[in-house]
Amino acid sequence: MSSGVIDGTAVLPERISRFPFPFPSDSYRYSTNVEPALKTVVTEAGAWGGRLLDIDEHYCHELTERDAVLTRDPTRLQVLPHMRPAVWDAISTLLPIMAAEHPDAMSFDRDGNACRWQNTLQDLDLEFTLGDDGSLPVEPLRFLGSQIQDDIALLDQREGALWLDAGLVTFAADWSFGFDVGMKFLEVHGPVPRVHQEQIITRAQQFLLRLQPGEKYRRANWTMTVDRRLDTSTETYPQWARDRATVAGDPALPDRLHLRVEVQHLIRLPHSGAVLFLVRTHLLSLSDIARVPAWRERLGRVLAELPEDMAEYKGISRYRSAASAWLLGT
Amino acid sequence: MTATALQAKVHPAVEGGLLLEVADLSVQTASVTSITFTDPAGTALPGYVPGSHLVVQYGDGANAYSLTGSGRHPSEYTISVLRVDDGAGGSLAMHRLAVGDLVRVSHPRSAFAPVATARHHLLIAAGIGITPMLSHARAAAERDSEATLVYVYRPGQGAHVQEARELLGPALAECTDRGSFQEELTRRLTDQKLGTHLYVCGPAAFMDTVLARARELGWPQGRLHSEPFGAVELDQGEPFTVNLARSGVTLEVPAGVSLLEALENAGKGVPNMCRKGVCGECSLPVLRGAPLHRDLYLSEQEKSANTTMMCCVSRSLDQELELDL
Amino acid sequence: MCPIALAPAAGTGPEAGFRGVIRVSFGTAAVPAAEGSAGMAGHDVRFDAADREALASLIAVLEQARVGVRLILAGPPADVAAAAAAAAACGLLEEEVTLLANESGRRLVFCAHCRTANTTVQGVGSEVDCEGCATTLAFSGHFSRRIGGYLGFAAHAEEAA
Repeated sequence: MSSGVIDGTAVLPERISRFPFPFPSDSYRYSTNVEPALKTVVTEAGAWGGRLLDIDEHYCHELTERDAVLTRDPTRLQVLPHMRPAVWDAISTLLPIMAAEHPDAMSFDRDGNACRWQNTLQDLDLEFTLGDDGSLPVEPLRFLGSQIQDDIALLDQREGALWLDAGLVTFAADWSFGFDVGMKFLEVHGPVPRVHQEQIITRAQQFLLRLQPGEKYRRANWTMTVDRRLDTSTETYPQWARDRATVAGDPALPDRLHLRVEVQHLIRLPHSGAVLFLVRTHLLSLSDIARVPAWRERLGRVLAELPEDMAEYKGISRYRSAASAWLLGT
Repeated sequence: MTATALQAKVHPAVEGGLLLEVADLSVQTASVTSITFTDPAGTALPGYVPGSHLVVQYGDGANAYSLTGSGRHPSEYTISVLRVDDGAGGSLAMHRLAVGDLVRVSHPRSAFAPVATARHHLLIAAGIGITPMLSHARAAAERDSEATLVYVYRPGQGAHVQEARELLGPALAECTDRGSFQEELTRRLTDQKLGTHLYVCGPAAFMDTVLARARELGWPQGRLHSEPFGAVELDQGEPFTVNLARSGVTLEVPAGVSLLEALENAGKGVPNMCRKGVCGECSLPVLRGAPLHRDLYLSEQEKSANTTMMCCVSRSLDQELELDL
Repeated sequence: MCPIALAPAAGTGPEAGFRGVIRVSFGTAAVPAAEGSAGMAGHDVRFDAADREALASLIAVLEQARVGVRLILAGPPADVAAAAAAAAACGLLEEEVTLLANESGRRLVFCAHCRTANTTVQGVGSEVDCEGCATTLAFSGHFSRRIGGYLGFAAHAEEAA
């Protein structure tokens, strides 16, 4: 597969050419930035977005990491009892998509409720029965999370609201799924500054409430992470918080500081009617970003211009000036 | 039997839907017939949420009918149609269908979903309102959740009553006169364990009576769910004309086509993202005419100023709009 | 599924099939007599605190009630929240439950790091030392009805040691 544009002396590696750079302009504000899924986006470095379920060079590593996080802390996976049908709905919806999008590595066959799933990337050849938890090697949502890199959230629609009633979230960006499970969509987003005044979350909720079965949309979120650390949950905050304070003075800042982009897919599941949120995390270091001149400029300006309350909320206020200065060469 | 010809023009409400074949017809009562559709190629059909409906095209029109299956991995879609002699002709057209006829339908649409957290589903149906209840009862059986059905029908006109008896057994109560129904209803409404949800379907006046009685007896709005059968969001909008002031071009925007699509079709596409009226990207400056605002983005003030509109969903109150494009 | 209930002590519950207003107060709180009545039968219950026994009693009372019933909870925030969570688990909707929390009373702050439920009378925006892991926790308005408390997280983790 081609890797993207020539960067002066060499072709860019896939981790850069396929990176979902999220900024359409030099300043960033919150918006209800949903768009239909599956449209390929051409960037200055290459392209992304043609698939629903992206597999990259980190596939095996991330799934191993997810398993380790879950073993250490089982509260990252919760399924309220009424959501069990939605979990199976997600399995029977996503496995065929994985097989269709990655036919060289995966296949899915179904006859009534009897299924066969093959994943050569994991040396896996599995027969199971839809709806029968015991027919899977581990509980259903954990199984699904062992096949895709995305974090998974399932929302139940009732009483005119969406409820975060099930999920498997091992790579949270500074929130606690274990605490939030059972909350309404508006409440989960409660702590985000500005969004309520500007009704962004209300619009997002209304959009989701009207989503029809089979419809697929996506949006992107961003923040920054020190080192390639995936688990930046509230639970483990004491472990990764100090780096936020020290990285600004670290000569290795360009290699250590990463732009963290979440590509979220929003799908209404056909039979349960639940809204499925897939959150796929991408990390790229400032050094790598700087290899694309347009990205270097843009990210540098976005970080410089970002209002302080937004920088605080994103947890980047201690180092965003240093990052911006490095990117813009100032 | 004369076969019904497939319509040449696709009704906007079934645009992007499915082309299905009539696989079976089954007379339920003197005025109700069940129609089963399958994919002509024999493929499984998209699953659906219990209580969903299907929009079916007939001639130049389209009607919505409740699906009677549970929606789990269906190989067929079954609806039941009450023949209405003095209506718009939709039900008559349905009753003229023959096995083998091809029909255009929408994807199933969900507007009467069961509440996943309900500890008991109390289903109340009158006449043809039985159809979505069959879906609910089947789904409850598959999920091992509790459902009770109170079915009111005129003697000899109980469509699907045998099916309901088999599905529900003692959890079915049948009423063939108003008096016994009122008693049954009051008895049921005052004796439901916490967490019960009520679902009612039937003629509008019937549903109003049931819901009013429930409210009188202390049921909060969040426990009450209704779907008037036959209702469908077929609001494709009125056609209108748009004048692009700067390019001097005039475009027609037909019913069922958005202003954004009409602009794109004419090579005058504008920036857009969500195409559903929430993100704000596709705003256009309005010079003349009153837009029909259908977006979720503009404030009430911005909407009444009528100087901006979201072209992906909004239309026009006037016959012609002038845009600064 | 409604959590396991104990049978209520004789005389504490309303009759089976109750569809009126159940008024529950914790500690020294009192539900104003006129609250929620509006022609419905009322039933009053008092507990010292929302401990395991009290919640089991409440659940047993709710199991006997029928749709149409309304619940009013009064007392310190922690107790009202615990009772509200139990009521939700029994199938009550928010619109069927009225919460009258005395803001100066104790509330729960749930440590994100060790999961200890801490009690404090301080308001939102304050700090509390976790009894489980000794971390000084900050808590803002992020509240879970299911857990019945606020999310506490390390207040000074980013600062110099």
